[in-house]
Amino acid sequence: MLPHFSYVRPETLKDTIRHFNTKGAALHAGGTDLLGCLREKIMDVDKVVSLSALAELCEIKKTAGGGLSIGALATITQVAENPLVREKYPGLAQGAAEVASPQLRNQGTLGGNLCQKPRCWYYRGEFACLRKGGDICYAIDGENQFHAIFGHDRICAITHPSDTAPPLAALGAKVRAAGPDGARSIEVEKLHVLPKQNVHAETVLKPGEIITRIELPPPGENRYSAYRKVRARRSWDFALAGLALALETDGGRVKNARVFLSGAAPVPWRSRAVEQAINGKRLDAEAIAAAAEAVVEDADPLSQNAYKLNLFKGVVEEQLHAAARAA
Amino acid sequence: MAQDDNIYYTRGLEVPETPEPGAKPKFWEKTAVVGKPTPRVDGYERLSGTAVYPSDIKLPNMIYGALLRCPHPNARIKKLDAGRARKMPGVRAVMTGDSAEAKNLKWRYDDFTVPLLDPHCRFEGEAVAAVAADTPYQARDALAEIHVEYEVLPHLADHDRAMDENAPKVHKTGNLVGKDEYSRGDSEKGFARADTVVERTYHTQCELHTPMELHGCVANWEGDRLTIWESSQGVYAVQSTIAEVLDLPFSRVRVIGHYMGGGFGSKLQPGKYTVLAALLARQAARPVKMILTREETYLSVGNRPASTMHLKAGIKNDGTLTALDFRCTGPSGAYPAGGTSLVDWLIRDLYQCDNVSCRSNDVYINAGPARPFRAPGHPQGSWALEQMIDELAEKTGMDPVDLRLKNIPEVSQARGGMPYTTTGLARCIREGAEKFGWKDAVKKARQHNQSNSHVKRGAGMAACLWIVGGGGQPSTVVIKLFRDGSVNLNMGASDIGTGTKTIMALVAAEELGVKPEMIQIEHADTGTTQYATPSGGSKTVPTEAPTVRNAAVEVKRRVLEMASVDLGVPAEDLDYNGAEIVSRSDKDKRIRVTEVSRLKKRGVVVGVGYRGPNPSGKTVNPFGAQFCELEVNQKTGEIRILRFLAAHDSGRVMNRLTYDNQVFGGIVMGIGFGLTEFRQLDTRQTGKLCNRNWHDYKLPTALDVPADMESLPIEIDDPEANNTGAKGLGEPVTIPTAPAIANALYMATGIRFTRAPVTPLEVRRHLDLQKEG
Amino acid sequence: MHYDEKKPGGGVTRRGFMQIIGTGAVGASFAGVAMAARPEPAPPEKMIPAENTVKIRLHVNGAKQEVLAEPRWSLLYVLREVIGLTGTKEGCSRGECGACTVLIDNIPRYACMTLAVEAEGRKITTVEGLMDGEQLGPVQTAFLEEDAYQCGYCTPGQIMSVEGLLRKNPDPGTDEIRTAVSGNLCRCGAYKNIFRAGKKAASLKNK
Ligand SMILES: Cc1cc2nc3c(=O)[nH]c(=O)nc-3n(C[C@H](O)[C@H](O)[C@H](O)COP(=O)(O)OP(=O)(O)OC[C@H]3O[C@@H](n4cnc5c(N)ncnc54)[C@H](O)[C@@H]3O)c2cc1C
Ligand code: SF4
Ligand code: FES
Ligand code: FES
Repeated sequence: MLPHFSYVRPETLKDTIRHFNTKGAALHAGGTDLLGCLREKIMDVDKVVSLSALAELCEIKKTAGGGLSIGALATITQVAENPLVREKYPGLAQGAAEVASPQLRNQGTLGGNLCQKPRCWYYRGEFACLRKGGDICYAIDGENQFHAIFGHDRICAITHPSDTAPPLAALGAKVRAAGPDGARSIEVEKLHVLPKQNVHAETVLKPGEIITRIELPPPGENRYSAYRKVRARRSWDFALAGLALALETDGGRVKNARVFLSGAAPVPWRSRAVEQAINGKRLDAEAIAAAAEAVVEDADPLSQNAYKLNLFKGVVEEQLHAAARAA
Repeated sequence: MAQDDNIYYTRGLEVPETPEPGAKPKFWEKTAVVGKPTPRVDGYERLSGTAVYPSDIKLPNMIYGALLRCPHPNARIKKLDAGRARKMPGVRAVMTGDSAEAKNLKWRYDDFTVPLLDPHCRFEGEAVAAVAADTPYQARDALAEIHVEYEVLPHLADHDRAMDENAPKVHKTGNLVGKDEYSRGDSEKGFARADTVVERTYHTQCELHTPMELHGCVANWEGDRLTIWESSQGVYAVQSTIAEVLDLPFSRVRVIGHYMGGGFGSKLQPGKYTVLAALLARQAARPVKMILTREETYLSVGNRPASTMHLKAGIKNDGTLTALDFRCTGPSGAYPAGGTSLVDWLIRDLYQCDNVSCRSNDVYINAGPARPFRAPGHPQGSWALEQMIDELAEKTGMDPVDLRLKNIPEVSQARGGMPYTTTGLARCIREGAEKFGWKDAVKKARQHNQSNSHVKRGAGMAACLWIVGGGGQPSTVVIKLFRDGSVNLNMGASDIGTGTKTIMALVAAEELGVKPEMIQIEHADTGTTQYATPSGGSKTVPTEAPTVRNAAVEVKRRVLEMASVDLGVPAEDLDYNGAEIVSRSDKDKRIRVTEVSRLKKRGVVVGVGYRGPNPSGKTVNPFGAQFCELEVNQKTGEIRILRFLAAHDSGRVMNRLTYDNQVFGGIVMGIGFGLTEFRQLDTRQTGKLCNRNWHDYKLPTALDVPADMESLPIEIDDPEANNTGAKGLGEPVTIPTAPAIANALYMATGIRFTRAPVTPLEVRRHLDLQKEG
Repeated sequence: MHYDEKKPGGGVTRRGFMQIIGTGAVGASFAGVAMAARPEPAPPEKMIPAENTVKIRLHVNGAKQEVLAEPRWSLLYVLREVIGLTGTKEGCSRGECGACTVLIDNIPRYACMTLAVEAEGRKITTVEGLMDGEQLGPVQTAFLEEDAYQCGYCTPGQIMSVEGLLRKNPDPGTDEIRTAVSGNLCRCGAYKNIFRAGKKAASLKNK
């Protein structure tokens, strides 16, 4: 049962920004995450600003430069099933297909998926934890088997829940954002913030700022992309460990590899160590083994989640072998 | 055997005496409708959306109740102020521990009697106050305005610490609920005779019932008469508890539960919420609908307790089991609730073994009390025993199928050698193995594992029995045959999704010769239907079906008597075929049932059936064995179950369609127990529940269970069990599933997974240990 | 074409529940996902204050319906407690079980995660809307014949997920059916029969 809020469904982006740029306002795209947060009283919201009258934000279209522009309100299902996405950006299509459940994919939007709140069970439960404005992080000394092994700095150990952000980041996507101060582009890779930067926010979006589109650059020649998600249950489950890969091959050698992990850190976690281990190399057993070792180099596992170390190694191995076979 | 009588029956309340059973009808050698795959008689209602479940009830003027619950695992209420809540929009009733209506009421947790709204809350989720308002939204708004100051007390969340000297005490008397001991023979000597002795510790996690329909009710007063629509497995159990708490005569408490969306044991009893709904309804002078939230059900309506089990087994090289020694600890929760109840039963009874000793400690922790959960105790004990048998088989170089077959008991050893009416244990194992292609599956898995693929394969099996499965007294059923030949069947039992109504229609149709569609069922209403014990424990069919048959026999006897007047032929010479009454000696003497003059005049003939007693000196038990094949990804720890076969001896198959469905459902639940489900308390900090929703508490989904599931009924005539030959089915089908999976995992990985559930985390952790050596 | 208006013939009626009559012709398949340009909901001119109720127009099972709702009310609450269509069930109100699945513009969604105000002007189909008069529709008939339910509480949601799948893909394979119902828990564990019912429903519809 949700608490009271007022509701408005503006017809223009301008009005939307105006309504959204007030204290206590929250955006409603598909509502699948927002309503859960309101039920759990995670945030104080007294006004819900619906995006659903902004039909132009639903479209998926080619850009002049040969890339793809996805409206922030495109549903996850539309992204997963879109023929262009499937053909040119399979990693994104795979990530989208792994999100939540079919009904949630039919309703949740790509913009909402990038901006969803964390899924730490303390955060979602009746615990006044640090991220919610309390004094301590319950996960650090508590039940942290599903928490982060990177980037938490022992401040807050959420794992970023999105399955679309890692492939988008790997594919070099940018979001277009519109706000009171005008529009700007932000690389997906730079959209999310670490606890040490700001433990109370998940994105760099400023008050009143709305994601309008997600833009993918044209795929290069011989580009391979994939997303793999390991989880305890095959539907409705966030990643225990996930891997988004995008790489190009040139004469059998890897170049421009971009590797992002999910289930690993408070943001989609870029593994430069893996990238370095494979760039310029053939994906043979030796290179793959080196990459697998590299993936957990700087990890800082918590009391219950050291199993993720070998899990990530295993996923890297498995996925690089698959990439080698595909190349 | 106090325990097997107790678990599914209303405790502490007298059950009505059952009169002598009617003439015992002959065993059916052949059946016309019983056993045939028959769609459910209430399928139309359930599929069209017209079935009215308790949560669907909407009465004129109805308002909505909501409960405030204690957020701490152990706390005392210092101050409670509901003043502002009363003034909130839409609020029509508020109930606190100080309210006149609630102040003197008591609630019983087993043999503890506490105030209904107890200022000392011993578990997170204990009821603290309640409100009712025009909309459920307003009711929740009002709850937020009730201000409570708690004195938070030290809590105990880990049952393995319960007996530590410095552990916080859940009750003044300490943390021990009770000890249970059993022994036969001499274990010491047994182990001395063994060629091999193996010892292991096993753990299973706390599992939550989480039926799809939320717990809850609608309560309505008409003067002094209270009507409750409750999502329940037993309307009479709700009636007796509510009448007792509110000090009302049973006759003034009418409980209706025509449809219900699953219970699995958690709805054998009402909750405090039921009483509070009635109190709010009285205060507001309006009907109140009180449906719990999903989160509340995680805290307060029962669970299958976790267990820590230690099993030591001795075996000779020829496969003879020489001794079993079992120790177990399990938590009841904050009040006595059978924390270790029946966990040791399979160790006592499943395999031939002369020397057995079992000890269990049932302890308190500060968490919601347990409730019976589909086959209480058995899946836990099976997890230990069936993995141990697998290990012994390996140690003695025997096939696990053969080792089990070598140790089939002739009689129930745990009952001092009492014979089973029938036992299909050996047949389930042998014929199941054959149908599954066990030998082949093992060979193929081993071959596959020679390759260097990181996906390994395994096949595993396990067997079981269930302690009660014969049903029993009391039960009363009334059948009415109307003058147009149609039939009304009246019974108090609930249909919890197992297809009870359909089976009863088939039984009545079989006996009366009428078409099942001619039978209309009235059930699960204490105001209008007969007394019945709650539906649970796989006892509903063996309890009610014989009673239905008795009632049908009685109706037939009466109608033949009536027809004998019309035909001038003695009743003993007459047969009823559903349409006509015909003389056996002179086929020309016949009369349509609609023409029988006394029936025409009276309008209806009524037959009352009572459940006869079970055979004395014998025990009625169902048996089973399950087999599975699976794959494990050794890099990621992911498990994929490829197929399952379940061979079960539950006596006569009453309806093949619902029979198979039960079998598949049992396997699915067993997969959850073995692979995905666990309650996570914040053990080292607040003691609160971390995963109180279906996302963090993971039930198997459509993608987690194999499409390839096969049911192989082992149908053995059991004329002694009861007049239908049916034994229980609902519980045994979920008992051996998890250890069958664990045994297959062992074949795939060489690791004994002794902790359930085996999530990918657990697999990965063990693989890491294996690597380290 | 309005799918709701198509009446697949045959099915199971309240009377004679055990006779299962074959189904008649079903017409053309549903073409694609109609979401790309969403039918525009009639926008509220002004902001709806929190504690006010506002009139919203819903299009439920082919009939227009006006209800007064607070902004915070879910579509599930409005369907069940305001309109009285209780075939759609509540299991969690958190998007975690699927009991509340309905079709919105032919697409399966959770009514518990949809604000009623957001459903303004949308075409909503509930399990009641799959009936062919007094007869069970093809998906419901398939569930009956395959015994694809036990307690029946998850069942309306399962049926709507299968219906949604078949409107998009009239001839799905087992894997597609499994995925389509993977947002619908069944604690009774009737999954295997649900998969079979999905297959059978496709053939009943295509007859
Ligand atoms: C049970 C469950 C399981 C889930 N499992 C997964 C999973 O496995 N993987 C996964 O990736 N996700 C998962 N999710 C998350 C789900 O995918 C998201 O809820 C969904 O994608 C969010 O989209 P929405 O449009 O519904 O967002 P909303 O709920 O409408 O919004 C979510 C948040 O983003 C903000 N927001 C929305 N749109 C914009 C925008 N355009 N610009 C700026 N801010 C915006 C909102 O203000 C809000 O705070 C799960 C969710 C649930 C409820
Ligand atoms: S991990 Fe972050 S969200 Fe979770 S308890 Fe710690 S601070 Fe809160
Ligand atoms: S009630 Fe909507 S998903 Fe559970
Ligand atoms: S039929 Fe009971 S939950 Fe699915």
